[in-house]
This record gives sequence, structure tokens and C-alpha cells, in this order.
Amino acid sequence: MLDDQRADGRGGARPAIALSGLTKRYRRGKGWLTAVNDVTLTVPAGQVIGLLGPNGAGKTTTIKMACGLIVPTAGTIRLGGYDVQRQRAAAVRQIGAVLEGSRNVYWPLTAWQNLMYFGRLKGLRAQEIRPRAEWLLSELGLWGRRNETVGSYSRGMQQKVAIAAALITDPPVLLLDEPTIGLDVEAARTVKDWIAYLAAGEGKTVVLTTHQLPVARELADRIAIIRDGVIIADLPTAELLGRFAEDRFEVRVAGRLHGLAGALPAGAAAEADAGTTRVTLRDADQGRLADFLGELRASDIPLLSVTQAGPGLEEIFLRLIGTGARDDAATRAAADREPVA
Amino acid sequence: MTAIAIPRAGAPAAAPPGFALRVVAAEAGKGLRLMWRRRAVVISGVVLNGFLYLMIQFFIGGGHLPLPVLALTLPGLFAYIVAATAAVQGSGGIAEEVNGGTLEQAHLSPARPSLLAAGRLAALAVEGLIPAVLLALAFGLGYGPHWVIRPDALVPLALIIADGLGYGLLMTALTLRVASIGAVVHVFNMAVMFFGGMFIPVALFPRGIEIFARFVPATLGTEVLNTTLAGRGLGAAWSGGTLPWLLVHVVVLAGLGWATYLNTLRRARREGGLSPR
Repeated sequence: MLDDQRADGRGGARPAIALSGLTKRYRRGKGWLTAVNDVTLTVPAGQVIGLLGPNGAGKTTTIKMACGLIVPTAGTIRLGGYDVQRQRAAAVRQIGAVLEGSRNVYWPLTAWQNLMYFGRLKGLRAQEIRPRAEWLLSELGLWGRRNETVGSYSRGMQQKVAIAAALITDPPVLLLDEPTIGLDVEAARTVKDWIAYLAAGEGKTVVLTTHQLPVARELADRIAIIRDGVIIADLPTAELLGRFAEDRFEVRVAGRLHGLAGALPAGAAAEADAGTTRVTLRDADQGRLADFLGELRASDIPLLSVTQAGPGLEEIFLRLIGTGARDDAATRAAADREPVA
Repeated sequence: MTAIAIPRAGAPAAAPPGFALRVVAAEAGKGLRLMWRRRAVVISGVVLNGFLYLMIQFFIGGGHLPLPVLALTLPGLFAYIVAATAAVQGSGGIAEEVNGGTLEQAHLSPARPSLLAAGRLAALAVEGLIPAVLLALAFGLGYGPHWVIRPDALVPLALIIADGLGYGLLMTALTLRVASIGAVVHVFNMAVMFFGGMFIPVALFPRGIEIFARFVPATLGTEVLNTTLAGRGLGAAWSGGTLPWLLVHVVVLAGLGWATYLNTLRRARREGGLSPR
């Protein structure tokens, strides 16, 4: 794994989250299943880290161990410097969490009752909770319906209540496990805007797990990819994307390639679309690009545009978790340049 | 967006003053609010239990209501409802919370699990006492059994509630471990119903069954309550051995419930069992 200082910390400041050698094994029949294997991760205050991985990779187990909801088999977790196992009360005061696949709040209760309940449960007095609850519900557009049961809300509104409940004590660390899953476009946009605001506007540390890679790309300063319980990549988002950058050009022409279609350079692919053709040239240097453009001109094929393109996060993710094109030359090239895991 | 200044959650490592009380009150308040949301079920339970009790009494009396039997079995009905409600609602409630993910959220509290359990039990006690008192009052005032009401009856009443809550806590705890807990609770509740003195006074059981019945939650409490309501006082219950055994029963059941609850929670944390698996 790349233990990159830029990814891991900002000098000597106490990290918001520090996972060290975190391991979780479950007994399954006569054997053991290792859900998380020796994960070490340090998240500085104010950073948004996207924890990505396929189903069963260990994301949720890691998040729940960080919350103190699952006891690790080995390793330590520190939240704001407090050990989750030894100083649990102080450690959990550092966090708010929205967990995946669950309601998170009581649907038979109203939004207001939920916030009052969770606030009290975390040690706040009613007079401390009320202004915060009022602000949260107003900002999330739920104030007018605060006295209706959460069960009567739309899925997006229910998720907003879960986020408000996680934020009721104004914790410095937020653990969000698939916060936009199952939401429509508008509700997902609101949730994403909120996460961005909480990080940029309130300086909160956010750990975000998601299958929606555009969400991670949009929100996360840093991305860690977990597979089979092991962190296989951990880099700032821009650097992760840059590390897999390749000399790839997209050439768009009007009409079809006709005679040129059978004489494309090695590694090139053509795709016709509504009166235009897009040609992707992989591993192409400027010289090969110039040669190809010359052939287009010679064949009187009108050129529309030439752009340099890199792989998206999804492509990188698939390459890293090994379900993508394993024989892809670019993958090999990227892997040769720098081992990511 | 404008930030509102409230104390940062992460600042104090120690619990603020009154924290434990607030947690218990919050948990109890939540339980009662949830009960209010399902009040139709509670009311149906009152009506059905009352009807069942009355029909069985008519059956025993051959078409008449035998008042001496009613006087002896009505405390059994009270004890049964307290215990059965604690078991059914305790088990069902925590199962619902596991499935809904709210149990995990509640356990993100800095409070000790025992405080959450105490609040949960307080709500279960109220939820059981409301129908139990309603039915006892309805039948007691309606049929006027010959009871001697004395303050010392409060002792077995309190012990009946504690015994029922211990039983309810045990069933709640087992919900975190046993997949088919609904059937288990049903079987145990049937045992409490038949052997707890709700239909037939325990003293009328054959000797072997009588001994078995005294292990069942509610039975000893009903016997001691009957002793005091017969005007013989706690001294008679103590010298007769039922009160000491009731105390032992309450302590053992409450201790077993408490230990099992904390143990299953610890185990659930080890195995990820606070949420659906």
C-alpha cells in the first residue's frame, strides 16, 4: 500500500481517526472468515475520505469497528485520540454515524422526537438540543413536518432525519455508510451538498463509504480502496486519478470512417454515434496522434474535436479490485509505474 | 447556513452531571412513546386477556363465576400480564430495533448499556402495569372479591413487577441470540399463563406440578400476594416459605436476565449482531 504522507496526515496534529492493525475475524462453521485484515488508516481532522470496495470487502465492518459497534479481533481504533475499546464513552462522543441498510432512526416517532431522544442519549440537555434540532430540521427542509412520524416521510426525508440525528451533538467526525443509496436524484444532491458543506464549512472529518463512485470522486479528498478486507490503495483523489492517467486521446469526426475503419492504429477503437464517430487512441504519443490526424485529412473526413482523456474512477476501481480488464496494457503500465497496493 | 453554538460533543471525556438519569429517562420516554403509537394493540391485549380470563373462570365454575377462585386467581392475572408484556414487548421491541438499525444508533451513546436497559425496563413496567391494573380494577370492583387490602400487599406487588421484568429482560436478551425467539417467548408465556395461578390457584395443582409451577415467573408472587390479600400478612408468607423463595426467585431471575442481557450484547458486539446478519 502507498503510505503516502499527503494522504495520511498533516504534520503532527492529532488525527481525527487512527486505525492501526485493525483485524476482524468471524467464526464460520469450523473455520474463520477474515472480514478485515490488518487495516491501518489515519485520517486527519477536516478530511473527507472515501472508503470504496465491492460488496463484502469489509467497508461496513471497518466503519462499525470505528464506531465501537463491532469489537475488533486485533488492532486499535482511536477517535480524536481516544481509544474506542478503553475510553469508549469519550471516543463515541466524537462521532455521528449514518449506517447502511438500516433506518437509523425510529420511524414511529416524529423527526423532532427522534432528535430529542438521540440528543439526550448522547448527554445533551433539552435546552441544548432544541436550537440545534431547529437549525438542522430547518436547513434540511423538514421543519414544517417535524411533528409527523418519520415513517410517513419519503426515503430522502428519512435519510435527512438520520443525518440530522447523527449531527445533533455536533460531533467532529461523521461516519457515513452509503448515505445516498436508494435516494432519488434531488435527495441525493441535497445529501451530497450537505456532506460537502459539513467538510468545507464546519471542518468535519467525514468517512464515506459508497458504491456510487461519482459521489466519492465529487466529495472525497482522499480515496482508500478495500478488497477482501485489505486496503489496496490509499491516495488523495487527484493523485489516484493522476497515477492512472495515460496517453489516451479521443478524436471525434463527422460521419463514418469508411476506409480508415480497417486501418486504425493498434489499441484504437471506433464507436459511431448519431452522425459522428468517436475514435479512442490508447497509449498514443503525440506522433501517433499526428499520423492519425494526417490520415483523416487525406481521407477527407471532417475532424470535429480532439481531447485528451484519462480513465474515470470507476475504471480505476475496477482495475484495482481485479474485476476489470486484467490484461489491459494501461493497467499493466500503471502498475509498473508504481505499486498501488 | 449559519452555525449555532452548542457544546462540542467531543470536548468532555467525562459524563456531564445528571447524564445517567437523562439516559434512563430518554430511553423510558422513547419506549412509552412507541407504546402510545401502538396503543390499539395494547387495548386489544387488555380486552382479549380480560375476555379469556373471564371465559376460563366461567368454564371452571360450570357456567358461574366462582368468586373465591376469582379472588385467588386475579393476582395471577395481574402477574401474568406484567410478565407476559415485559417478555413480548421487550423481545419484539429489541428485534425491531435490531432490524431497523436503531439499536446500533442507541449504542453509539456514551452511556453504559445497563443504563439503556434500565430505561427500557422502566417503559416495559409501565406498559405492563397499565393493562394489569385496568383489568384488576375492572374485575376487582366489578365482582368484589373478599380481599383484605393492606399496605404490606405492596411488597409482593413490587416483587411481582421485579420478577416479571427479570423474565422480560431474559427474553429480551435471548432475542439477540435465538433466531426463533417469538416461538420461545410464546411457549414460556403459555407456561406462565397456566402455571402462574391465573386460571387455577397453585395450591390446587398435583404435588409434582405445584413444585414445577413455583419455578415459573409470577407463581410465587401470586401466592404471596394472595396470602396478604387474605389478611394473613407478610409474616405468614415468610414463615410459610413463599416470601423467602419469592425473594430468591426475583434475585436469581433478575440477575440471570441482567447477566444474560449484558453477555449477549457483548457477544453481539463481537459478532456484529447488533444489526441484521
